[in-house]
Amino acid sequence: MDSNRELASFAARLHREIGPGQDSPKQTRAAWPAFNPLALELFALQFAHNPLYRRFCEARGARPGTVADWTEIPAIPTAAFKAGPLSCLPAAARTAVFHSSGTTGQTPSRHFHSADSLALYEASLRAWFDAHWPVAAGPWAWVILTPPPDQAPHSSLVHMFETLRRARKPAAAAFVGRAAEDGAWVLDVDAAWPLLQSAAAGAQPVFLLGTAFSFVHLLDDFAARGRGLTLPAGSCALETGGYKGRSRALPKAELHALMSRRLGLRPDRIICEYGMSELSSQAYDGEVGPVAARALPGLASPGARRFRFPPWARVRIISPETGAAVEEGETGLICVFDLANVYSVLAVQTEDLGRRRGSGFELAGRAALAEPRGCSLMAV
Amino acid sequence: MNLPNYFLADLPPEAALTPALIDEACQTLRRNRECYLAHRSTQSLVQVLCRVARDWLEPSDPFRQFALEQSPAATGFPRATLARGLDAFFKSLTPEHFHALLEQDLGHVRRLDELTSAAPERAARRAALATAPELLAHITAGNLPSPALAAIVLGVLTRSAQFVKCARGASLLPRLFAHSLYQAEPKLGACLELAEWAGGRQDLEAPLFAAADCITATGTDATLAAIRPRVPAAARFLAYGHRVSFAYVAAAGLAGRQARQIAAQAAADVAAWNQQGCLSPHVIYVELGGGVAPEGFAALLAEELERLEQAEPRGELPVAAAAAITSRRGFYEIRAAHSPDTRLWCSRGSTAWTVVYEADPRFQLSCLNRFVYVKAVKDLSETLQGADPVRGRVSTVGLAAPAAGMPALAAALARWGAARVCALGRMQQPPLAWRHDGRPALGDLVTWTDWEQESLET
Repeated sequence: MDSNRELASFAARLHREIGPGQDSPKQTRAAWPAFNPLALELFALQFAHNPLYRRFCEARGARPGTVADWTEIPAIPTAAFKAGPLSCLPAAARTAVFHSSGTTGQTPSRHFHSADSLALYEASLRAWFDAHWPVAAGPWAWVILTPPPDQAPHSSLVHMFETLRRARKPAAAAFVGRAAEDGAWVLDVDAAWPLLQSAAAGAQPVFLLGTAFSFVHLLDDFAARGRGLTLPAGSCALETGGYKGRSRALPKAELHALMSRRLGLRPDRIICEYGMSELSSQAYDGEVGPVAARALPGLASPGARRFRFPPWARVRIISPETGAAVEEGETGLICVFDLANVYSVLAVQTEDLGRRRGSGFELAGRAALAEPRGCSLMAV
Repeated sequence: MNLPNYFLADLPPEAALTPALIDEACQTLRRNRECYLAHRSTQSLVQVLCRVARDWLEPSDPFRQFALEQSPAATGFPRATLARGLDAFFKSLTPEHFHALLEQDLGHVRRLDELTSAAPERAARRAALATAPELLAHITAGNLPSPALAAIVLGVLTRSAQFVKCARGASLLPRLFAHSLYQAEPKLGACLELAEWAGGRQDLEAPLFAAADCITATGTDATLAAIRPRVPAAARFLAYGHRVSFAYVAAAGLAGRQARQIAAQAAADVAAWNQQGCLSPHVIYVELGGGVAPEGFAALLAEELERLEQAEPRGELPVAAAAAITSRRGFYEIRAAHSPDTRLWCSRGSTAWTVVYEADPRFQLSCLNRFVYVKAVKDLSETLQGADPVRGRVSTVGLAAPAAGMPALAAALARWGAARVCALGRMQQPPLAWRHDGRPALGDLVTWTDWEQESLET
């Protein structure tokens, strides 16, 4: 059997397991007893069909016969996606590629996709989104603070927002960001303001989607112009990603407090997403209830929240020093084992630090820059 | 050891610093300098400094013991690494080295004491006196302690009162050194002040800058850029920004036992101060065509780093720094699986040391803590092309080459703009007379008075 048929068969089975999402949110929440055998099966396939990954595993002395548990599958650091094509897809089948949002001039990560792998990515993101944003929770209009897909064809985040928009078909939706000439994302505040203003004047809830830095840009602009508004009850926000030097960095609690104050958003309706171009599944740190629901205890303060991946992805927090799992509450590197990464590498070691808390995890910063203390890094 | 409260940095952390406190400290420093320091002879100050340095080199010295006992928690360095760094620094403080420094930077050992003439001046019937700032303020960086200690030493030599603003969490060693000076001569200690606050506290820095005649600052380019506009026009500002260093190993002599020796010298430079200083190598360039190929040299270097790890372990890192090493290793693991031009050696079960071999000669910044690149080059000119992105920012080039080849290599590096060329294995041991970042550290502090003795003939 050639590589594509074996992987396609695995992808099709997984796709059926993940399901269409909206119809079966309960099922998507149940723990997957089949996770371990599926992970080992996929590891064997990727070992066989991803030559770079195979050599990486061999150098570490790991191969399908010796790996007995998903926790032993060698995880590829996200930085390695910059070093070579970590893909099971033959070059001709790589019809799409997602890049990491690195600093200009740096080589970005590349995560290749085919039509099949995109379909699985979309199924995965829709199912877990639907589990956190039930259709009944509204809202009617979406304001997306990123550039539109045609200006950001290699952004997995924009692809995700566009996939969700097409699936949910909100009454109105607008991308109010744009990509500058150097590729950096800018927020078109003049496009965002009238949309938000008219929404605030109406009764229908609004859904704001964006990166942390796009929200900071929006709120900084509000502050500079003395603006503020109260979005209708039931409005909510999805906030994702770090700052990477593109705006002043705000602690999460402060950002959410500002979003509440200047946009009138209830804190429990601001949900954080954790995802990256190297993965096909995302984690959320809360869910949005029906419009009329009372605030969910525990969701009001971001500090008490926990991120959770869907059952087809699991997290290990490891010591960067030894690679062993750290104790609950200890800080380590976040590794994600994502079955939906069928055509690349299922085990991904991120550059984010986290702490396990019960069945979820919290973020605790990023790996240090390669910067000498007391010295600044020059552009090399 | 209980350190008495001589300095602001000795106060418990809850004691809040105020602008008035800083202002008052500066006035006291000036008064004490006038009483106790301004009229001291250079020779007597050199004696005190050398005596204190000899004490620090004694294993039984209480200050040294305390510094080592408090490590790594309070200094960030494992004991063996700190001991080696302290030894290298204090061994450089000898009367001979002070005299060499005075001769080099000021032309005469008594230049700070009286109007005096070096030979060319005598011929021209001229004399000169060098005067130092009355109050010297130092803004020190937190990466390693030796630059702060060196700054204090030069300030004592020039009879300046000194206020040392230490970086957050990096005051212990400057404090201990100041206490050792105080113990040796309380009056000398009374002309020193140390405090610790997070950089950028303008409320505290404004009175300090207003009082100081000269301000030295070490730190990131951003830190220096933030300080520069706040320095009053009348004060002198000496900024030491970020520098990087690399090594060059010539093919000649790179064979057999000598190759291993060279690798051991390179390993010593990588391990010194855990690679935290501007003088630590990021890259070891190895010339092709020797008895040992660059890739083989990388393997030797890995063995030497492993050997050093047994004798002088790197110690624990903050999780974010360890994570940076792990991430970067992963990048090179994949690149190595992808291309024969890259290879990786690293400590097992830890991030203690990492050697990345690359055929690509482009300079790379290391993520430090004993993570070093070995790169293959045809010759020095290919090295300098590869290092072009850091040209003008290179502090030190460590050289391993036969003696006959050294002058040509050093001359080429000097023309290219490297500020210091030294033997491999000594990169983190600059001599006292070292011209810091290409500037005379002592010479930059002083102001001259010239006396032309020739009178009009009648």
